[in-house]
Amino acid sequence: MFPQLTPELLEVLAHPATHKVIATIDEDGSPHAVPSPFLHARPDGLLVHYELLETSATNRNLLRGLWFDRKFAVTLVGALGQTFVIKAVPAKAEISGPAFGRAFESVRSVLGDADLAAVWLLRPQAVIDETYTTRKRDEEDRHPFSIHLDRLLVPRDQAISDRTQP
Amino acid sequence: MSQSATSLASRQPATLAEVAAAHPDVPRLIILKTDVQRRGVFYSDRALSVLDPKIHSITGTHIFGTRDGKIAPRPESLLLRDGTSIIITPTALEEDPYVVDLVDGQPFLFDGGQPLEAVDYWPAPAYYSKMSRSGVLMKNIVSARPQRLVVNPSRTCTFWNNGNGCGFCDIVPQTKKGTKELNIPVTLDPVEVAEVVAEALREPARFSALFLTAGSNVGGAAPFDDEVETYVRVLREIGKLFRTKKFPSQLMATAFTEAQLQRIHDETGVMSYTADIEVLDEALFSHHCPGKAEWVGYEEWKRRLVRAVDVFGPGRVNTGIVAGIELAPPYGFATEDEALSRILDEAEDLARQGVSTVYIVWSPRPGSVLGKQRNPASLDYYIRLAKGLHALRVEYRLPIMFDDYRHCGNHPDTDLSRLLNFD
Repeated sequence: MFPQLTPELLEVLAHPATHKVIATIDEDGSPHAVPSPFLHARPDGLLVHYELLETSATNRNLLRGLWFDRKFAVTLVGALGQTFVIKAVPAKAEISGPAFGRAFESVRSVLGDADLAAVWLLRPQAVIDETYTTRKRDEEDRHPFSIHLDRLLVPRDQAISDRTQP
Repeated sequence: MSQSATSLASRQPATLAEVAAAHPDVPRLIILKTDVQRRGVFYSDRALSVLDPKIHSITGTHIFGTRDGKIAPRPESLLLRDGTSIIITPTALEEDPYVVDLVDGQPFLFDGGQPLEAVDYWPAPAYYSKMSRSGVLMKNIVSARPQRLVVNPSRTCTFWNNGNGCGFCDIVPQTKKGTKELNIPVTLDPVEVAEVVAEALREPARFSALFLTAGSNVGGAAPFDDEVETYVRVLREIGKLFRTKKFPSQLMATAFTEAQLQRIHDETGVMSYTADIEVLDEALFSHHCPGKAEWVGYEEWKRRLVRAVDVFGPGRVNTGIVAGIELAPPYGFATEDEALSRILDEAEDLARQGVSTVYIVWSPRPGSVLGKQRNPASLDYYIRLAKGLHALRVEYRLPIMFDDYRHCGNHPDTDLSRLLNFD
């Protein structure tokens, strides 16, 4: 079983203003992150990435991931700052058939004269809520030693006021 | 080291798991694909029960026959989840093939009763069910792979006229069967071919390559001029469909002279050229390919391949070998090491001059001279060969996109080259 994608995440994923980035690992171990504007989820919970370029680093890295069990990450940043990182593995590369044809037409309806190399099906392994407000609250609750002391000071106006009170 | 330890350590990996363990740098899926090609497949009744001609490509149009000698409705071939094809031939159960059966309605490859990997049957293109202007099913004029259109302008080979057909080939018996049982024309009308291609290309993103091949034809003012003429006529008609002079395509043909190659290049839109030498050893070439030896010769075949690079450009010319026949008794190499050494030396000689070598797994077919033999090559041998040929492409910077998983799908060595990065 792989983790369920929450309604909140799915809403962010489906929103047209959301930034979607797929980060893979090159052969030499260096990271490679690019936009994935057509990224969406299937009803069965698999993510779908349209790879437009056959020889792109992302296409090669996803293939390497499928062949040699390497993970990669997808990052979603919503218009209101909601941020999710999804760790996933490549499950399948579709290169032919009716679904591939529909994806091709979908890409061209947005980009005009574009091509499609593969429809990658990606299986989520872990979902991390990286929304700043959520992470900040969690950080402060669980790791109080990471807080700079000046953030904990009594506000200066209040301190002066307190000192001048009779 | 004790004798038993020595023999254990030097024992060649035999099973899929052992070979995968011995070659961790090769994807297990490619090793599996290679072994399925080597051993063949048998479809269970349940696997065939989900075969739907409206959805799936069905066997029947191939220029070569099946290992079990039957023409019957079965999946044309299989797709793995990495997009790689397994181009296979149905094989009798007695020959110990992999079995395709179902798991929860999904076709799976089985071995020893264990499910190994999900597979998809090749999807049928929309034009397959339509009829051509002459009343032939379009699929019998132009066939399809997952991303490739296949045109066989002539399904015969004149090397067979004096008994000099290649020893592994069954083109002529298969053509007789196909003509009789499937109403497949022996020669195609170029205008009708172009009409079928046009119909096929109405389907979005269905095809990214066009492939032509036929049997050799020695006829003409110069040997093979008639064969060249056939390709030129078909390619010219197809070329009228495109707005660009050149279009992604591959011609697999006899090794032609410079003048013939230049004519093809100048008068058609074809972008890449393949002339299969079949086996990379002169003595075995002469034995297994007597027609090619009679009309061209081994060294001249190689020379013409190299000259073709001048015409089509680097990374646009290759040659194919039927890997396994070099080990076939009684003339084959005595050991796999000896065969590998010889093949890779010869392949390197070609590679340094700009010619790639790719292999297919030999599948003995009943209609061929070698049809009664069993392929003696081990899975480990095929993987070492794939790695060796891929390494030559890396060393000599030879891209192979025109004959890769998308444009052909029948070469384990070019599957490895999917990760090539010449940027």
